[in-house]
Amino acid sequence: MTNFEIGLWSFPVLLALIFLRIPIGLAMLAVGFLGNYVVTGSTSMMLSQMKHLVYGTFSSYSLSIVPLFLLMGQFATLSGMSAALFKAAEAWLGHRKGGVAMSAIGACAGFGAICGSSLATAATMGQVALPELRRYGYSGPLATGTLAAGGTLGILIPPSVILVIYAILTEQNIAKLFVAAFVPGILAALGYMACIAIYVRIVPNSGGVQDRLAYGARFRALVAVWPVMLIFVAVVGGIYGGIFTPTEAAAVGAAGTALIALFSGGLGLGKTAQAVLATANSTAMIFLIVLGAAFFNGFLALTQVPQHTAEWVGALALSPWIILSVVLLLYLAFGCIMDSLSMILLTVPIFFPIMMVLDFGMSAEDFGLWFGILVLIVVEVGLITPPVGMNLFVINSMARDIPIGQTFRGVFPFVLTDIIRVAILTAFPPITLALVWLIY
Amino acid sequence: MGKTLDRGVEALARLSAYAGGLVLLAVVVMTCISITGRTLGGIAPALGPIPGDFELVEMGIGFAIFAFLPWCQLKRGHATVDLLQPRFGRRMNAFTDFISDLLMFIAAALIGWRLWQGMLDKKGYTETTFILQFPVWIGYAAALAGAVVFVVISLYCVGRSARLLAEAAR
Repeated sequence: MTNFEIGLWSFPVLLALIFLRIPIGLAMLAVGFLGNYVVTGSTSMMLSQMKHLVYGTFSSYSLSIVPLFLLMGQFATLSGMSAALFKAAEAWLGHRKGGVAMSAIGACAGFGAICGSSLATAATMGQVALPELRRYGYSGPLATGTLAAGGTLGILIPPSVILVIYAILTEQNIAKLFVAAFVPGILAALGYMACIAIYVRIVPNSGGVQDRLAYGARFRALVAVWPVMLIFVAVVGGIYGGIFTPTEAAAVGAAGTALIALFSGGLGLGKTAQAVLATANSTAMIFLIVLGAAFFNGFLALTQVPQHTAEWVGALALSPWIILSVVLLLYLAFGCIMDSLSMILLTVPIFFPIMMVLDFGMSAEDFGLWFGILVLIVVEVGLITPPVGMNLFVINSMARDIPIGQTFRGVFPFVLTDIIRVAILTAFPPITLALVWLIY
Repeated sequence: MGKTLDRGVEALARLSAYAGGLVLLAVVVMTCISITGRTLGGIAPALGPIPGDFELVEMGIGFAIFAFLPWCQLKRGHATVDLLQPRFGRRMNAFTDFISDLLMFIAAALIGWRLWQGMLDKKGYTETTFILQFPVWIGYAAALAGAVVFVVISLYCVGRSARLLAEAAR
């Protein structure tokens, strides 16, 4: 067997292990380690690399942003800002048809601006908005579908942990990626709201309306969310303005959300301990995958699989747009069974070099940003598609009386808007890139 | 006996996660102070960033992540693809859990052993960080504390899943 063939064979082996429910990071680590042994015929190279590889990965400055953003998200859930955001959104949107559900989407978008994780956003906003949605008579499918979909805004709207990982993998500028994510994130929120507006008109009695508020009350509700705006501007603006590095911005964000939580009384010793344990759990989970990916990609590079695949795809003489569509469809399909981070870490090192040799009529940097946003959206769809969409289960576990099948059905229209949005953003790259061009 | 062990192991993993959390919080505070100092440094030259702040971040986060690993392993927090779980049945699931925990223990032991060797290397070269001139091996040693707890916890998890496997096989 040639090295290239060994590399190719590693994929079915890796997938088999993953489907056997071996933790994804561990499976990548094991296959990478054994594959390296098969190719080089000894473990000595791996073992000597490992003396510094693990510590080096865990103490890398660029990756240190990840636990800090996770901590920020945890403090954000304790800050009580979710309730204030929902109130503010309700004040402006609650009187419309389907307005309470639209408010939940708006509040999710606002919360996404201080939280870089979908699950945390879905869980936190679910606690606040679900009782309110039920109170106004929103049907089970619509209420749970709305919140599961709204949760994905946590990652689409910067700061976003997944974008950070993509930026590190492909050596993109994190600040520019955050800027590029902004318009697609807003479009996502608007798309979800439009989806709700259509839903409540097609399905009668699926949601009630609130009384219209005077503008004074509306602005007062909006002013109450100033800490969120301040933190968002400080974090994203600070990175963009070069005042601090992305890692420092994450630390500032964590401190900011901790302060809000402290003043709102949400930061008792018990709650803080819980936030730390939750951060510990997701940090360790992510870094095991990062480590596994380092092993696996190191092995793949040895077999030259990414290089050969890129050459092969380049020689296909297919339109780059077809190849891009195939890649995005692959992500959508895989998203149904795998979590977004594992998918990014496993596939981007293989797909990115392939995509880079294709000519989309734009600079390499623009392409890197645009492709990152497209990938971000398609992998996030995986969070709300059955059978393993985590957001669906998080929300459904809060509404025990609603069968999971109803949640699956309720989220379907939102998935549809996601797919339409990806198609539009793929067809018109300037939608994503214009803001980057404008600012830089 | 079993209960005492369970409780002791849980306390150990929790303590380790708290230690990592405290260091993470310290990194947050240190970074904010450093940024403030750097910003004010333009106005009052006596103030400035904390020297070597990047190095402190790297070392702190490195320790924190090693210290977080045991908790995640104990609470089965790692990402898995559970698509086939309902089809596997109790015995098969108990078996794959056991294999996962066994593999994790091997990985943990390997990581701990290599980290130890890496630390000895750094100590042998008396390598120091660039700005603070702080011995690099001390960062390794701190991480090793977490790595050792990780080995202990993953060994416990092997025993835990073996017990569940034996129950499922009955």
